[in-house]
Amino acid sequence: MEKDKKKVQQKDSGKGSLNRRKFVLAAGNGAIAIAALGSIGVTLDFLAPKVLLELPKRFVIGMLATMQPNSVTFDAEHRLIVFRDKQGYFYALSAVCTHLGCIVEWKETGIPGHPEGVIACPCHGSIFNKTGDVIRGPAPRSLDRFKLYLEDNKVIVDMEETVGEEEMFLKV
Amino acid sequence: MKLFTNIMDSQFWRSIFRTRLPIKTNLDRSLIIFNSLALHIHPVKVRERAIRFSYTFYLGMITFSLFVVLVITGVLLMLYYQPAVPNAYYNMKDLQYVVSNGMFLRNMHRWAAHLMVITVFLHMLRVFYKGAYQRPREFNWVIGVFLFLLTLLLSYTGYLLPYDQLSYWAVTVGANIVKYVPVVGKKVRFLLLGGNDIGEYTLVRFYVLHCVILPLVMTSLIGLHFWRIRKDGGLY
Repeated sequence: MEKDKKKVQQKDSGKGSLNRRKFVLAAGNGAIAIAALGSIGVTLDFLAPKVLLELPKRFVIGMLATMQPNSVTFDAEHRLIVFRDKQGYFYALSAVCTHLGCIVEWKETGIPGHPEGVIACPCHGSIFNKTGDVIRGPAPRSLDRFKLYLEDNKVIVDMEETVGEEEMFLKV
Repeated sequence: MKLFTNIMDSQFWRSIFRTRLPIKTNLDRSLIIFNSLALHIHPVKVRERAIRFSYTFYLGMITFSLFVVLVITGVLLMLYYQPAVPNAYYNMKDLQYVVSNGMFLRNMHRWAAHLMVITVFLHMLRVFYKGAYQRPREFNWVIGVFLFLLTLLLSYTGYLLPYDQLSYWAVTVGANIVKYVPVVGKKVRFLLLGGNDIGEYTLVRFYVLHCVILPLVMTSLIGLHFWRIRKDGGLY
């Protein structure tokens, strides 16, 4: 018995050398490790939904020819207001108030001092000017401005890309 | 009296309760604690000053009691709640105005949750100011920190479930904070919300987290936390 034990120990303690026992152990552990990693990967894949019933963030607003200069288009579904100013430049503002997220409205008649029209929030009375800057609180900052592109005479907005006041104009 | 003695001496009674009555010696007293699943988490003996109110203010136990209240009221609320749009909001309103005692249950759940955050915080303060986080209890402090985080996560996930404006925007803000985690932030946000915006999937995910995953983790950690109190030497 004692002899057998010694034999086994001698077999096991071959330093650095790969004997059958070590090989089988390594192969078994390796297989388990691969399976574990794989199952984590598959689970993460499972957790990410494949089909989303969400509105796309990048989409066509309209044809260049059909949107007249000095016009305002309100897209309720995407919570977006698209302007085309007198020069024919396009810009798009988020219709989500920066205060508490109510949906703002375009007021064509404007207010005293701003006859060109204002954007007003119905909830707490925030007022923004035509380019989205705050005229009157409680909104803490101007409305989000989105990047516009022109492709095949179509005006396209990317609502994942907010830009500053200088870059918001699509000059056509 | 004779009847009681007979019942307690019967085979049936003795198969459930091992401790022999009447209790006469300290060994008998110890055995009552040892032999009960519910009681054996307590030590057989404690120092008198360790159970004085002014020593711990019983904050841990108050927190645990609130957790029990939350589990019971939460399970009851689940019976009238569907994590779907728009049902969730209507279910919440029904709980308030149609289900009998629904308003009471909902408010009990809500207030217990608020109180639990407060008592966990006070418990941490007590442990901190009495230096009870020091050796050999360092690791129990770490478990406690995780329990604190779990309490906050449970509050946060529960916040979405009524699916009203407050829920929606609170979770929007929270999810946007997650977005700022370096490298994985956007992916984590996507997995947490089950999409890019809060929607049906988000509601189900938060529901499962709130009602299954987080409470299970919480319960296991509470067990570990209590067990460690004993293993780290108890109160002295």
